[in-house]
Amino acid sequence: MTENIRINNPNVKYTDTHIEAQYCYHTSAVRRDGDTLTVTPSVSELEFRTERRVPRLGVMLVGWGGNNGTTVTAAVLANRLGLTWRTKTGEQKANYYGSLFQSSTVCLGPGPDGKEVNIPFRDLLPMVHPNDIVFDGWDISSMDLGSAMERAEVLDWSLQEKLRPHMSCLRPRASIYIPEFIAANQVGRADNILKGTMAEQVEQIRADIQDFRHSSGVEKVIVLWTANTERFCDLTAGVNDTAKNLLAAIQSGGEVSPSTLFAVASILEGCAYINGSPQNTFVPGAIELAVERNVFIAGDDFKSGQTKIKSVLVDFLISAGIKPTSIVSYNHLGNNDGMNLSAPQQFRSKEISKSNVVDDMVNSNPILYRKGEKPDHCVVIKYVPYVGDSKRAMDEYTSEIMMGGTNTIAMHNTCEDSLLASPIILDLVLLTELCQRVCVRPQGSETFQSFHSVLAILSFMCKAPLVPPGAPLVNAYFRQRACIENIMRACLGLPPQNHMHLEHKLQRGFLPRHDNRIYDNVATKMVLSTGYHASQQNGVCAHSIIIFSID
Amino acid sequence: MTENIRINNPNVKYTDTHIEAQYCYHTTAVRRDGDTLTVTPSVSELEFRTERHVPRLGVMLVGWGGNNGTTVTAAVLANRLGLTWRTKTGEQKANYYGSLFQSSTVCLGEGPDGKEVNIPFRDLLPMMHPNDIVFDGWDISSMDLGSAMERAEVLDWSLQEKLRPHMSHLRPRASIYIPEFIAANQAGRADNVLKGTMAEQVEQIRADIQDFRHSSGVDKVIVLWTANTERFCDLTAGVNDTAKNLLAAIQSGGEVSPSTLFAVASILEGCAYINGSPQNTFVPGAIELAVERNVFIAGDDFKSGQTKIKSVLVDFLISAGIKPTSIVSYNHLGNNDGMNLSAPQQFRSKEISKSNVVDDMVNSNPILYHNGEKPDHCVVIKYVPYVGDSKRAMDEYTSEIMMGGTNTIAMHNTCEDSLLASPIILDLVLLTELCQRVCVRPQGSETFQSFHSVLAILSFMCKAPLVPPGAPLVNAYFRQRACIENIMRACLGLPPQNHMHLEHKLQRGFLPRHDNRIYDNVATKRFLSNGYHASQQNGVCAHVVKEATIG
Repeated sequence: MTENIRINNPNVKYTDTHIEAQYCYHTSAVRRDGDTLTVTPSVSELEFRTERRVPRLGVMLVGWGGNNGTTVTAAVLANRLGLTWRTKTGEQKANYYGSLFQSSTVCLGPGPDGKEVNIPFRDLLPMVHPNDIVFDGWDISSMDLGSAMERAEVLDWSLQEKLRPHMSCLRPRASIYIPEFIAANQVGRADNILKGTMAEQVEQIRADIQDFRHSSGVEKVIVLWTANTERFCDLTAGVNDTAKNLLAAIQSGGEVSPSTLFAVASILEGCAYINGSPQNTFVPGAIELAVERNVFIAGDDFKSGQTKIKSVLVDFLISAGIKPTSIVSYNHLGNNDGMNLSAPQQFRSKEISKSNVVDDMVNSNPILYRKGEKPDHCVVIKYVPYVGDSKRAMDEYTSEIMMGGTNTIAMHNTCEDSLLASPIILDLVLLTELCQRVCVRPQGSETFQSFHSVLAILSFMCKAPLVPPGAPLVNAYFRQRACIENIMRACLGLPPQNHMHLEHKLQRGFLPRHDNRIYDNVATKMVLSTGYHASQQNGVCAHSIIIFSID
Repeated sequence: MTENIRINNPNVKYTDTHIEAQYCYHTTAVRRDGDTLTVTPSVSELEFRTERHVPRLGVMLVGWGGNNGTTVTAAVLANRLGLTWRTKTGEQKANYYGSLFQSSTVCLGEGPDGKEVNIPFRDLLPMMHPNDIVFDGWDISSMDLGSAMERAEVLDWSLQEKLRPHMSHLRPRASIYIPEFIAANQAGRADNVLKGTMAEQVEQIRADIQDFRHSSGVDKVIVLWTANTERFCDLTAGVNDTAKNLLAAIQSGGEVSPSTLFAVASILEGCAYINGSPQNTFVPGAIELAVERNVFIAGDDFKSGQTKIKSVLVDFLISAGIKPTSIVSYNHLGNNDGMNLSAPQQFRSKEISKSNVVDDMVNSNPILYHNGEKPDHCVVIKYVPYVGDSKRAMDEYTSEIMMGGTNTIAMHNTCEDSLLASPIILDLVLLTELCQRVCVRPQGSETFQSFHSVLAILSFMCKAPLVPPGAPLVNAYFRQRACIENIMRACLGLPPQNHMHLEHKLQRGFLPRHDNRIYDNVATKRFLSNGYHASQQNGVCAHVVKEATIG
């Protein structure tokens, strides 16, 4: 299903090339005077302009031969080819389940029958379809993608058999390997690595991007790191604190991680760069370079499993006035990610990335938590080869409820790590590509501006979101999702979702029958009959309906 | 902490008696023409008027001597008296954890330091404080509340010792007992029951309400059912289909459940009535009566534990594009609620109430579910005396992820049932009381109107929300919470929360420096520096901050 959306409003114009929307953006400023908080609401008028033409998109993955790289490539191929395969429970079709844009929906409003109309998220604005993405990439292992898919042990065997002819011809380009940044146990895979000075290797990556762009005919390239977790890089003045120093350090061979080298090469090529692992790729110099060059960067670390649920559950508890006091998360996994994380320095990167996920929710509630107070929070990751890509996450949430009571939630979560991460990779590149086609002109300004180089709207897909200086860090899942939805709605001149349903909550309906609304008469009557005098069907709730059918 | 909020905007007026706010309410109407959806946004101008004077509130509980009734009464007493008590881990203070209004917060906007300002939910508008509630009620058991608290086995013993002198003189009024509606195993508790015809019993309940109102001096009474789950009542034309027939059936002694009798008595006394159990108290005749008399009713069934988390988790999964295919919920509990539910007819009421909770989320996503498709959903409740009020909920959620993968979440949830339900009882009555002080005048209308008698804004606290005819049924936790928050914000003329943070997401800040905003200069400068040239602190994310101290 694909929906064409047309906004029927004088504030929204469709030109041949753009959707232009006038938008009122509401904010509030708060000031405390003694025990009184003064809230000053204000409105900024903004013009959103979205390019309608969707380009041919190429995505280059660092770590293309890994579990995520092979799985996302295979999934796109299988969907593009419309593959089906037999499993013991029946025929399975290729799909994009777990993708925000491809498999979740947003509500546009009520239809003529009064029911909410929900459309695929991807149809809100013109977006690249994942089937049309052209993949390429690098890997320190030279294995072709057909064999690498087999090594990953993620996809059903019968699907692998159908995909192998399409995958085997794909070979990763040689990658940058600096042994000290990843676990020593990765050395066995490193048979496809660039030689030469650091500067020469960056030049080769840039040449690879240019080569891919020209040979594949794509108009736009986005580079995404889905390779090994690196150890954290020391932040050192004179080395990585400014763009200039960072570029100089690359020339002189200072401490620069492979992921930062890829980021620098991408930025210099004008390609957005997304970091799907926890390490601090985006040292200050890399961020400055991106801002100077007006290139998008985003990260860090895919939010796919345990952390994603944590950013739901803890938000739920605190927003319900319940106080989480202890959060303990055990993980075990047996894929190459798990093997790499079994080294202390790499685990440390992951631990840091996972540790701050509840901070925004805790800080938002000074009733439950006094200043500086936090729940105990402990994360353990163990490498257990047998379970392979089928990661186990075991969490215990202990919370304080009323009058000293205790609520204990124990959770055991099993799933294929790479099947959760792959749709998130797609969401990241698709949203980045869309953001490159959106610009905003505040009232009174002559010129349109783009999003900030640090693309914080991608927070939803990241465990440790990178945001511009001074911007609030939001980890709460539903707030992050609302942010994406409401910004995309703004591009169509639609106000934020308010979830109020006020037209159904008063004694009498108040929506106008005809003017400015497109309801047909039948439906309008229904809406307006929500009135003072109850009919037999009044107060319909789910169980009443059931009982009516008995009557 | 209590905050005084003052809105600094010409659209919001504070009179001695009221807060008057002009509000723009945004809706959209959607029509399909072939493969195109036309979305027509429209704006309704509404005037919200909220009475500032908070009355003295009396709450009458049906089932006052049960676990919920004693726990909520004890909690309010302990908070009012500021009690502390010793536990083996230290001193415990009375609190209202688990109450949306008392213990959760809402974001008002940004303070001068750029940080979000969060205030207790209760401070958004003038609301009753739970400490000021006067309790009374009925119970089929004559036990005084001190002994009933001991029977409940919910609160710490050292707290019970401190509370007993305050609780023991509280005695429930005689209640209505019709054995066929609740489990036979409740007969042993029924030593405090009204005699006489059905009509006489309703008159007695009305007299009790009048007596309580006069003797306690409260301005307003709300009645809430927290007694046993009843079996479902047959809907029969001529008996309970209209208000007139229902009143006639009470006179002639037809099939009317005790909870409906309490509802009728409350409505006739002009008291809002809330149903905290799953049965169909609100037969069509009862709803018609409430609408005719302009009295609020709300229900059904407290959403406190397993179902509450289900309305979070399933919403999360589906909103992430993941397809729940099987939801299996096992419960065991050993309190009197569990004993009553061990009878098949009463369990059936509970099963129905719990069964529809995921419907709105499933129906919202036609990508994952074809028309009419639903996940398998199974609910089991067992009576295990030993666990008492400490209810266990064990859930298994199996979901389909990308390319035929499976995600299995198993959850084990332990908590005191009544400690979760009690704050929800408080939230229900406090929000109902607030709604009685809010009215709305749509533009062009001469008169203000109240909320619809079926008070759907209370859906957040209910497992099977009762809504006006034609209104959408929303079970999704965060949507329900946003509904309450945004309606309360509307009473202050504040637009819905948008979660967009656009002022932090563009290349350059666009918020005006002075006009119409109350930032002081220092903050504004910092705010506007969110610009093109990155400083050393650029791209601050949680882990960078941490590591920067090392570097």
